[in-house]
Amino acid sequence: MARKSMRSPLAQASGLGSAKEGVEHWWRERLTAVALIPPALWFIASMIAHAGSDYVVFIAWLRMPSSTLMMVLLLVALFYHMALGLQVIIEDYVHSSVKLLALIIMRLSCFTVAAAGVLAILRVALSG
Amino acid sequence: MIIQSSNQLSRFALIKRFPVPKNFGVSPESRIERGQVWSAPAGARHVKRFEIYRYNPESGSNPRLDTYEVDLDDCGPMVLDALIWIKNKVDSTLTFRRSCREGVCGCCAMNIDGTNWLACIRFISETENPAVIYPLANMRIIKDLVPDLTHVFAQYAMIEPWLHSKTPEPAKERLQSAEERRQLDGYYECILCFCCTSGCPSHWWNGDRFLGPAALLQAWRWLTDSRDEATGERLNQLEDPFRLYRCHTILNCTRTCPKGLNPGKAIAEIKKRVMARRS
Amino acid sequence: MCGSTVERERPKSPNIQIYRPQLTSVLSIANRISGVITSFVAVGLVLWLLAVAAGPQTYAAAQGVLASPLGQIGLVIAIFAFFLHLCGGIRHLAWDAVYGFDLAAIYASGWAVVAGSIALTVATWIAALFMAR
Repeated sequence: MARKSMRSPLAQASGLGSAKEGVEHWWRERLTAVALIPPALWFIASMIAHAGSDYVVFIAWLRMPSSTLMMVLLLVALFYHMALGLQVIIEDYVHSSVKLLALIIMRLSCFTVAAAGVLAILRVALSG
Repeated sequence: MIIQSSNQLSRFALIKRFPVPKNFGVSPESRIERGQVWSAPAGARHVKRFEIYRYNPESGSNPRLDTYEVDLDDCGPMVLDALIWIKNKVDSTLTFRRSCREGVCGCCAMNIDGTNWLACIRFISETENPAVIYPLANMRIIKDLVPDLTHVFAQYAMIEPWLHSKTPEPAKERLQSAEERRQLDGYYECILCFCCTSGCPSHWWNGDRFLGPAALLQAWRWLTDSRDEATGERLNQLEDPFRLYRCHTILNCTRTCPKGLNPGKAIAEIKKRVMARRS
Repeated sequence: MCGSTVERERPKSPNIQIYRPQLTSVLSIANRISGVITSFVAVGLVLWLLAVAAGPQTYAAAQGVLASPLGQIGLVIAIFAFFLHLCGGIRHLAWDAVYGFDLAAIYASGWAVVAGSIALTVATWIAALFMAR
């Protein structure tokens, strides 16, 4: 009467069966990681190079097509990788009904912030 | 400070425990209380203290940590010898599993000084002062150092650890080359002690759905067996965000395996196989 | 099954409360924590880009925040977290290729990640100070 479930141990371990998917997330996490390395290193190097430079110099550099491209690639790869990583963290530690809500809010927030960043870059690049 | 093999103890430790309070996040029935001290018999000269987790299901009280003083001149060199000495000379209610006393059966798996190992192949001289003995981590405890392995064995059964064959039985044996047989080396030797699974943080947080290193190592053992004919079905059963992909390559498993096996590598091989069939 | 024996749940043996932190588990959680910190840095990066797009005044204000003592400390933490996650991530990519799994390699690569992250952070800081001159 105090025991929670009378399901057999094998049935409990089997749960709802295999989802038969999961490699897509794993692969995309690795792909975005690799895609992130060149733009991230480029960004660090650029920030070092522009340490202490003023607004006009900086904007001129950001308007260069190569800079614009690398910044957009950086943001896309960064926020996609971030969303995948945070998804794993939420799935690991949140097990209540809050989990689905947390995943939705996280995913939509990442997309929104990434979109805001890309639009900011494009505004700088395409204006004047 | 490079560890070459899992039986090498790390002498230097910046922190001995993660900075969480004792009894952090445990359910009320799992809270560990202070226990009693059992002194060594009079006249004992070389005495070592052992702090051992005790739990009596018939007492109605919570688990506790008892301290035993062991006469090292009177007992054998291994931690298991100390437990047997305590049971014989001091407290016959101390309960633990044991069988082969040579590190091949897997019965005496427990947490010694913070890491999972087999008590029969851990020298007392290599333990700390006092030696601290808990049962295998994150297991339901039946009594004292005896964990309930029902769930982890159910996870093992779930991966179907037997040969799946569709082609009819040959007249003699199913053939396998020497090279193909070598693929099993490092995986067939597992003694199912569950030191690895019990030491995996991912299994701590998601052990109900994540299979854990022991079951997954055996799953790889059958996936890489050239005589097996259900590779696709096995991979279908494994490819799941929780069953397989809760493994984040933490590698506590490889660090703690008392047989020197490499569950982390086996799981990486499984993930590589799952990738290989989709491109 | 009522009677003299009370059917209570079996206790669970302690896990993180007593398990010894080892290079394996410590670097793994450090990789996760540095990833979370880098996530916050990413949001900060977008805020900074919004400041850049908004014009020279907001840009100057943002640069002022970064130049403040708290901002500088935050920047060091952000750069260290990024490099720790980068080096740890490369170590993970090697494992995904099933490379470097024997214990000696795990430990050697682990210490290399720690040393590399610190070295890269220091190098970045020195280079930036030099360029800002």
